[in-house]
Amino acid sequence: MGMLDGRVAIVTGAGRGIGAETARLFASEGAKVVVNDLGGAVDGSGAASAPADEVVAAIRDAGGEAVANYSSVSDYNAAEGIVKDALDNFGDLDIVVNTAGILRDRMVFNMTEAEWDAVLDVHLKGHFNLTKYASIHWRSERKGHYRLINFSSVSGIFGAPGQPNYAAAKMGIVGFTYSCANALGRYGATANAISPGASTRMTDTVPEERRREGSNVGDSSEEDPQRSPANVAVPLVYIASEQSDWLNGQIVGASGYELQLFNKPAVIRQVRGTERWSVAGAAQQIEELFKPAVGGGGFYG
Amino acid sequence: MGMLDNRVAIVTGAGRGIGSEVAKLFAANGANVVVNDLGGAVDGSGGESGPADDTVAAIRDAGGNAVANYTSVADYNGAEGIIQQALDDFGRLDILVNVAGNLRDRMVFNMTEEEWDAVVAVHMKGTFNTTKYASIYWRANREGHYRLINFTSGSGLHGAPGQPNYAAAKLGIVGFTYSCANALGRYGVTSNAIGPGASTRMTDTVPEDRRSRGFDEDSETTVDPRRSPANVAVPLVYIASEASDWLNGQVIQAMGYDIGLYNQYEVIRNLSGNERWTVERAAEEIERVFKPAVEGSRMFG
Repeated sequence: MGMLDGRVAIVTGAGRGIGAETARLFASEGAKVVVNDLGGAVDGSGAASAPADEVVAAIRDAGGEAVANYSSVSDYNAAEGIVKDALDNFGDLDIVVNTAGILRDRMVFNMTEAEWDAVLDVHLKGHFNLTKYASIHWRSERKGHYRLINFSSVSGIFGAPGQPNYAAAKMGIVGFTYSCANALGRYGATANAISPGASTRMTDTVPEERRREGSNVGDSSEEDPQRSPANVAVPLVYIASEQSDWLNGQIVGASGYELQLFNKPAVIRQVRGTERWSVAGAAQQIEELFKPAVGGGGFYG
Repeated sequence: MGMLDNRVAIVTGAGRGIGSEVAKLFAANGANVVVNDLGGAVDGSGGESGPADDTVAAIRDAGGNAVANYTSVADYNGAEGIIQQALDDFGRLDILVNVAGNLRDRMVFNMTEEEWDAVVAVHMKGTFNTTKYASIYWRANREGHYRLINFTSGSGLHGAPGQPNYAAAKLGIVGFTYSCANALGRYGVTSNAIGPGASTRMTDTVPEDRRSRGFDEDSETTVDPRRSPANVAVPLVYIASEASDWLNGQVIQAMGYDIGLYNQYEVIRNLSGNERWTVERAAEEIERVFKPAVEGSRMFG
């Protein structure tokens, strides 16, 4: 008996890294899995069927059920085909895990238009594309216990200075997740975002002194089991299961052996007026009340 | 003597609504202002010079300095021209306020590709485009108290269900703001995001029964002075001034007569392991520790 027996999942970016570990662990817990991967490079260029095929083969060798899909999640029309693959092959769709992503790191003053666009297309639009078509199915079926599991990052949550495009996309995904959590709850879908920490080919592009901060705990060696992407997959099984109806609109951290719950945006200091503030009055209030509150605020890096 | 004497500001979307009030109040406090506005409809279509010209005329009539610019911020190359105009006409650039935005509201399962793209292009890419070219100038001229002031929204911070595109874009802008805060501080730049609340033609598209929730406290019309966009402009004068060097990487609420400071994201529950969690143990611990923390957590609307 697995925690995901009888459930059908799509995992994007499942040819390598965190996506591959999620697909394999979901299958070993009884899920039927559409293993989606374009098979491109970390920067999004190129394509190959081998990464998705290899994960499907590994799942089948272990006695699980999986099919491969090679579409780019950034292709709006192809996203409909990924959902259709789940329905045609497995007759249903319960879980969508949006792991697919790329990197084009550059400081904002040096970033090109192409670098901005490429990262926004795959991460943010890719999340929307697949979610749109999954949500059409969920809304028409309303069987319940549907799960939208998106991928955010501490790069967005804390603002990595060398990743303005990735930080924007990854926090955009949180805003999108919040919107979906509020929109799709009535159809039995929960929407949550994961903030992962692991060593994969994507973090190999980050300078070593920075990998020690932020999400990346412990040693930077890929052999360190604490940095294996397999760790990230573990809590996702519970989130994908029928038991997690109570969890909606949250950011869950899965980094090394740590499982984390993040707070939500809230106003922590407020000046209330009874008429429009004067410029001088507002300035004085902001300095008096807000300055002590942000004094020790920790920044990224 | 104004709080912004001799400072030069670009305000995008300054032909109407909040942007127009910001441009006028900045000029009244001594700033020279580039009034940028495409002059399009709320959905981003069309374009005309009238709105920007009207704001410039109002500023000049009041004895201030302003010039008009009609470029779409979504145009990467056009954004360079906006920054160039500030340098050509006023000799420097101290403050960039990214207000320009559009709306294409739709539930996620009904949203078209075009509706998604249009909103992300204006809000997110527009904010990147102007910031990139401003930051090139700021990095090359490091003597300043430079200010990047971006616009987020309660729609993104709390997840408006009927605005998946806008929610994604607006929280994406927060991630971008955090990244810029960490990247540009060394060049004398602070980066903050504003969460506004006011009645403008943009909120006129929101159904009345929803306007009474979230950021919109009163469901009355724009005649209510509490809901005037002029209220939002007041705290921005201080943030744009040389006095606010201490304020960086924050989200500031400017809603009616209230001025608030948002929290930063942080981990509020943490489960630490010494080895990879089993699926069963992770499930147990997430339920035991996270569930009480999220129950009662506030959702949108």
